[in-house]
Amino acid sequence: MSERKDIANVEEKNIKKTRDLRSAVPAVDIYENEDEIVLYADMPGVVKEDVSVHIDNGTLSLSGVRRIEKTGVAKWEEFGDVEYVRNFSVPQTIEAPRVEAELRDGVLKLHLPKSEAAKPKRIEINAA
Amino acid sequence: MFTMMSDIDRMFGAMDLLRNKMDRIFDDFDRSYDYEPGLIFRSGSPRTNLYEDGDRFEIRAEVPGIAKDDLNVNIQGNYLEISGSRTSDTPDGYKVHRTERGADTFSRSFTLPDDVNAEKVEAKLKDGILYLTIPKSEATKPKQITIG
Repeated sequence: MSERKDIANVEEKNIKKTRDLRSAVPAVDIYENEDEIVLYADMPGVVKEDVSVHIDNGTLSLSGVRRIEKTGVAKWEEFGDVEYVRNFSVPQTIEAPRVEAELRDGVLKLHLPKSEAAKPKRIEINAA
Repeated sequence: MFTMMSDIDRMFGAMDLLRNKMDRIFDDFDRSYDYEPGLIFRSGSPRTNLYEDGDRFEIRAEVPGIAKDDLNVNIQGNYLEISGSRTSDTPDGYKVHRTERGADTFSRSFTLPDDVNAEKVEAKLKDGILYLTIPKSEATKPKQITIG
C-alpha cells in the first residue's frame, strides 16, 4: 500500500516542477506593407538567449523566458518570473529563412519578409 | 478480506490521480489568464516590485521600449515618482493590423516606508526594466544594539 503512495507522490513532484513558470501573453503591434510584415512584442526583462522564434507551416511561435533577480525582502511584487508565449498564423507567403529578429529594451521586433511572388504587381495595360 | 482492502486502496488511488489531474487542469486555466496583453501601459501604470534589503530599497519597474531620455524619476523626501512617455514606434507607411502595446504617458508614485537618502539614489535601465537602488537615510538604517 505504501509503495503505491510513493509512486503517486514522485509523479506529482516531477510534473509540478515543469509547470512552475507562469505564462503570460505579450502585447503586440502588427504592421504590414508591400514587402514585409512587422511585429513588435513587449517582453520586458527578457534577454536574447532566452527568446525563441519559430515559424513552422504557417504558424509563428514566440517564446521568451524572464527570470528576475530578487534581493532582500519583497514588500510587494507585481511581476515575476514569467514565460511570454504567443502564437500567430502567418500567410504561407512569408519567407522563413529571411526573417529578422531584434531584441532591444525588452521589445522583440520581427521583420517577416514576403516572398517575391506575393508582392502586389502592377499589370500594364496595352493599348489595343 | 485482504483482497478487498487492496481493491479499495486501488480505488482511492485512482480517485487521487483523478483529483490531481483536475487540479492541474485548473492550474493551466489560471496560468494563461494571469497577464492580459497590453496591461503594461494601457492602464497608464507600469507594474513594479519593491524589495527591502537591510539598508536600502530596491525598486523594479516594467518599462519596455522606453529610452532613457523618455523616463523621469523624481524623489522628494520619501515620495518617489516614476513617469515617462513612450513614443510610438509605428513605421511610416505601413498598414496597421493590430496595436496592443499602447503609446502613452505613464506615471506611478509611491510613498516609501522609511525615510531615504535622495542624494544617493542609483537608477539603471536594462532590457526594458528600470532598476532603482534607494539607500535609506542614516537614522532609519537597521542598527545592531549591544547589550550592556
